[in-house]
Amino acid sequence: MRRTRLGRWWYKFSRNPLSVVGLVIVAFIVFCAIFAPWVAPYPEHAGPYVNYGEANKPPSLTHPFGTDVFGRDVLSRVFFAFRSSLLMGVVVLAIVVPVGVTLGLLAGYFKESWIDILIMRITDIFLSVPPLILALAITSVLKPNLTNAMIAVSVMWWPWYTRLVYGMATSLRNEYFVQSAELIGASKFHILFREILPNCVSTILTKMTLDMGWVILIGAALSFVGLGEQPPKPALGTMVADGAKYLPEYWWISVFPGLAIMLIVLGFNLLGDGIGDLFSLEEA
Amino acid sequence: MKKLVVSMTLVACILLFVWASWADSSKIVRFTEAWPTYIDPAIAADFSSSVSVANLYDTLVFPTYDGEVVPHLAESWEVSEDGLTYTFYLRKGVKFHNGEELKAEDVVFSMERLLTIGQGYSYIFKPIIEKVEALDDYTVRFQLKKPFGPFLYALVRLYILNKDEVLAHIEPTGEYGAMGDYGKKWLLTHDAGSGPYMVQEMRLEEYLHAVRFPEYWKPLDPDAPSEFKYIGTTETATVRTLLSKRELEISDFRQPAEFYEAVSKIEGVKVAKLFGGSTFFCMMHNRKPPTDDVHFRKALAYAIDYDAIANQIFPGARQAQGPVSFILPGHNPEVYQYRRDLEKAREELSKSRYADKLDEYPVDLVWCAEVPDEEKVALLIQANAAELGITVNVIKTPWMKIIEEVATPETTAHMYLIFVSPHYAEAGSMLQSKYHSSSCGTWEQTEWLQDPELDKMIEDAIATVDKEERFAKYRKIQEYIVDLCPSLFLIDQPENYAYQDYYIDWTAAERAERGEKVNPVMGYNHYMPDIRVYPEKREELLKKK
Repeated sequence: MRRTRLGRWWYKFSRNPLSVVGLVIVAFIVFCAIFAPWVAPYPEHAGPYVNYGEANKPPSLTHPFGTDVFGRDVLSRVFFAFRSSLLMGVVVLAIVVPVGVTLGLLAGYFKESWIDILIMRITDIFLSVPPLILALAITSVLKPNLTNAMIAVSVMWWPWYTRLVYGMATSLRNEYFVQSAELIGASKFHILFREILPNCVSTILTKMTLDMGWVILIGAALSFVGLGEQPPKPALGTMVADGAKYLPEYWWISVFPGLAIMLIVLGFNLLGDGIGDLFSLEEA
Repeated sequence: MKKLVVSMTLVACILLFVWASWADSSKIVRFTEAWPTYIDPAIAADFSSSVSVANLYDTLVFPTYDGEVVPHLAESWEVSEDGLTYTFYLRKGVKFHNGEELKAEDVVFSMERLLTIGQGYSYIFKPIIEKVEALDDYTVRFQLKKPFGPFLYALVRLYILNKDEVLAHIEPTGEYGAMGDYGKKWLLTHDAGSGPYMVQEMRLEEYLHAVRFPEYWKPLDPDAPSEFKYIGTTETATVRTLLSKRELEISDFRQPAEFYEAVSKIEGVKVAKLFGGSTFFCMMHNRKPPTDDVHFRKALAYAIDYDAIANQIFPGARQAQGPVSFILPGHNPEVYQYRRDLEKAREELSKSRYADKLDEYPVDLVWCAEVPDEEKVALLIQANAAELGITVNVIKTPWMKIIEEVATPETTAHMYLIFVSPHYAEAGSMLQSKYHSSSCGTWEQTEWLQDPELDKMIEDAIATVDKEERFAKYRKIQEYIVDLCPSLFLIDQPENYAYQDYYIDWTAAERAERGEKVNPVMGYNHYMPDIRVYPEKREELLKKK
């Protein structure tokens, strides 16, 4: 039974070849990130390592992506940078989704009560500040490192989930199944998380997959201005920024990490579209 | 009425156009450097500030390329037997930029203002000046507290201000009592000098634009720059674009090796290597654990790969031998030089009291955000330290913030990568500005060494009038410092400048190319009257494009 259901999902998913491409890209990146120490040709280049004799070498067989101004293999560093990028996406979503969704459910279910007003006005305040500016402000006040970059992005990201779930919850609270549950005296907790939430899951999941790419992009933007992972640990944004000083002679130093960012965002977006299709077909 | 407005606008547009095209073909020299720049002689001390005041103000004596001083505002002078009284006879008819004549009382005023404000180069004079007085309009006498050997060399840092003009621009509410703010606010963006150039416009954080002073007492060569503009940026891509568009004559020296390689391919652009006596230090906080332990510091000194810094990161540099550059008079050529030797490094580390708890003591290493090459050195030190098990956190900080945080020992980080140049051409200058307690809290000493013994030795050496004897004392101090290892002595660095060789003649660059000495006094290789500009050659290059 379960298998056939999986099979049906896969059938729907794979009807759009682009979704499969997205899945393959994401799987590849996750694989590279997890097995970076084994996949990367020079794992030590991701740590405190310099070799100025080998600096600025163009792409070759020994260094497929060339070497940077510190003589480190760009390919190896890209693999290790996937780690911090993915970690950023996963941790941020793991913080943002539960918080944002819970607040959205509360505000939506208790519409027009003081809970709604309190939560949604705070949400509006956060939404009114341009997201990147807010993140920049937070990271520059705190010490620049990956943890603080994650905190900053989380702070700017949760309102979107609150908004999304709020909209759905306000309409769902008037559905018959919610009203029936209220009539038989179900607890508020049950209604919020057992009746309303399951009906939002597909939308939330789709948004999460799409957001993964955007969170990583914002993380790269923060590290581009030096507010993310600190050297010598590699981060894609930092690598682009470092190489930008030496364009166009040593193009490989920033072009390859730039392409890597593109690949991640593209992969998650395609995958997100695929998952979105899956649920919309399910419902149809 | 409407017609009038329209015609006025038209005229303004035409004038602007004419001015723009004139400005383009004028004899302008533009160069870049990191902000901040202080053109107030009582505050100026860093590189760009020194360049600026050298061109805006005059001094009693003038430093030559050979490291000597020659008469300038002072036509002659006398020194008393005991070396305590200096009498200077001033040149007559020297005019300030506002047309007033420069007199002895202006010299007295300038020294008093410098000492009262107590910033910039004041620390050179503060411990030695007893009294300055004007004997008549053209005679000024300096009374010293104690003999100071390099006094004449130090006088190149006493810039003469127009007393009346400064007094006319005082803000009454200031920290200096009757003197108000001593004209500090006004002098931030104006000059009150008699130098060959005068401020046309100073935009903080952007640029300083100065034009030739037509009534300068010393006739300038007709091909010398008619104006100069110092642009406050070191952003690599910007500097490079300006150079290739011929909108920049001389670059700053803070660019990465890759930049010089790339721009030397632009037609007519050449790279000059000037050994100006500056040394590149990794300064270590001597009062903060773990760098307060001499064995810990020595362990680092033995771990650093100096060859990589001198040959690969800064090609053409030399590993420093102690704190004084090899080109400075008074350098000790026999002083011990740390070489990379991991075995010795481990041995030293094991003697340190932090040997078995290195994890608890990570070290912060700050590099200046405006100098990309410093990051390479920072990462090298990080990698070298990691071999010993020492964790180094590399931190990128803008220059302005570095100046702020080194002001107190608490906010000063463990290590800073900083270039230091001597203020006058002798080892004593470097020793004093780098290690005497009086320079603690400035960017020149983030070590907080505060060693009374060393203070005494330095004071004694610079008080020695006899040159041979003074130099012998300098050599001994260098040995003492190297043994103390308060900083890592990385390289004696040539300042690399990309410049428009095709249409400017730059004396300092040409001397360097011939293998002759360049001016060891910071700022004086950018003395504009020594530069020649040929705008028609510039036009030629522009037309080729």
